[in-house]
Amino acid sequence: MITTEDEYALIDRILAGEKQLYATLVDKYKSYAYTIAMKILENRSDAEEAAQDGFIKAFHYLKNFNRQAKFSTWLYRIVFNTAISYKRKVKPAFQSIETSIIEYSERADHQTEQDDKQVYLVKAMNRLNEADRLAIQLFYIKEFNMEEVAEMMGQNLNTIKVRIHRARQRLADELTKILKQEALTL
Amino acid sequence: MKKLSQEKDDQLLHYLDGELNANEVEALEKELLLSPDLNLRMEELSSVRALLIKKGQLEIPSKNFTQKVMSGLDAKPARSVFSYRQGLLLLIGSVIASGIALALLSAGVFDAPTTPLIVDSPLNNDWLKVPSISIPLNGKILVNGIIFFNLGLAFILLDRTILRPLFQRRNSMGY
Repeated sequence: MITTEDEYALIDRILAGEKQLYATLVDKYKSYAYTIAMKILENRSDAEEAAQDGFIKAFHYLKNFNRQAKFSTWLYRIVFNTAISYKRKVKPAFQSIETSIIEYSERADHQTEQDDKQVYLVKAMNRLNEADRLAIQLFYIKEFNMEEVAEMMGQNLNTIKVRIHRARQRLADELTKILKQEALTL
Repeated sequence: MKKLSQEKDDQLLHYLDGELNANEVEALEKELLLSPDLNLRMEELSSVRALLIKKGQLEIPSKNFTQKVMSGLDAKPARSVFSYRQGLLLLIGSVIASGIALALLSAGVFDAPTTPLIVDSPLNNDWLKVPSISIPLNGKILVNGIIFFNLGLAFILLDRTILRPLFQRRNSMGY
C-alpha cells in the first residue's frame, strides 16, 4: 500500500531521473484511468490508447504537479481530458448490417433479469445529456466521490451535485418508462 | 402512480446516500410505511442505484498496458496546433501577401506623404455641428509595418512547419 507521502517521494525520484519507477504509478492507477476512458469512449481499444496517452502526458508534465491535490485526481483529470479530445477526433464509424458481426451466445437466450436491467439502464443512460451521463458514471466508479468527479470534469462541486442528483432521478423515470414499454410489447 | 414533489424525490436520494440525520430517517421511514407511491419511488431509485453500482465496477486494461506506457515515455507529446498542410498554406499566403505589398510599394502607390483619415461625427445634424476629425495616415509606414509583420509570421511558420519537423525527423532517425 503506497501512502501519499510515499507517492510524493516516488515522484521526486522519477523527477530526479529514475523514470522506470513511473511503472509503479502506472500499475497502481491503470484500472481507474482505463475505466474513466472507457466511460467516455465506450470502446476498448480507443480507451486503452487514450488512457496510455494520458499516462504519457502526465509523465511529461509531472514537474508541473503542484501537490495541492492528490496525484490520482491530477492524473485522472489528464486522462479525462485526453479521452474527451479522442472522442472529438474519433468519428462514429458506419457499420453496414451486412458486415457487422452479430454476437450470439447461449447466454443471450438465458439472460438473467439482472442482465436485462443493465441493458435497460444503458438505454436510459443514452437519454441523458452527455455531461450528466459522464458525471453519474464517474461518480459510481468505485471510490470516487463528488469532489473528485468535480475536479476531474473541471466543474464546480455544486454543479456536479446537481448533475448527479438530477441524472439519478431522470434515470429512474426513464427506466420506469422503458420497463412499461417493454411490458406492453410482450 | 402520483408524481412526487422534487423535494420528496431529493429526500429519498439523501436517504439512500445516508445523508439524513436520525430524526429525518425515522420520519421518512414512517412515511414510507404509509405511502405506496413513496414506497414505489424509493424502489425505483434504489434499483437505479444498485444497477449503477454494479455498472461502476473497474475495467481491467490489457496485460501489457504498463509496458506500452513505459515504452512511450520517450516520445514527446505533440504540441503543434496546426497540421503541416495548414502551416504550409499559411506560409505561402503570408509570402504572397508580402510580395504584393512590396510590389505596390515599389510601384509608388503609397508615395503620397499623408492620407488624411476623416472621421465624421454621428452627432452632426441641423442643430449641432461637430467638426470632422482628420487623422494623418502615412500609407508607406503602414504597408511597411504589414510587410514586416508578414515576414515575421512567415519566418515562424517556416520554422514550425518545415525546419523543426525536418530536424526532429533526422534526429529520431539517428543522423
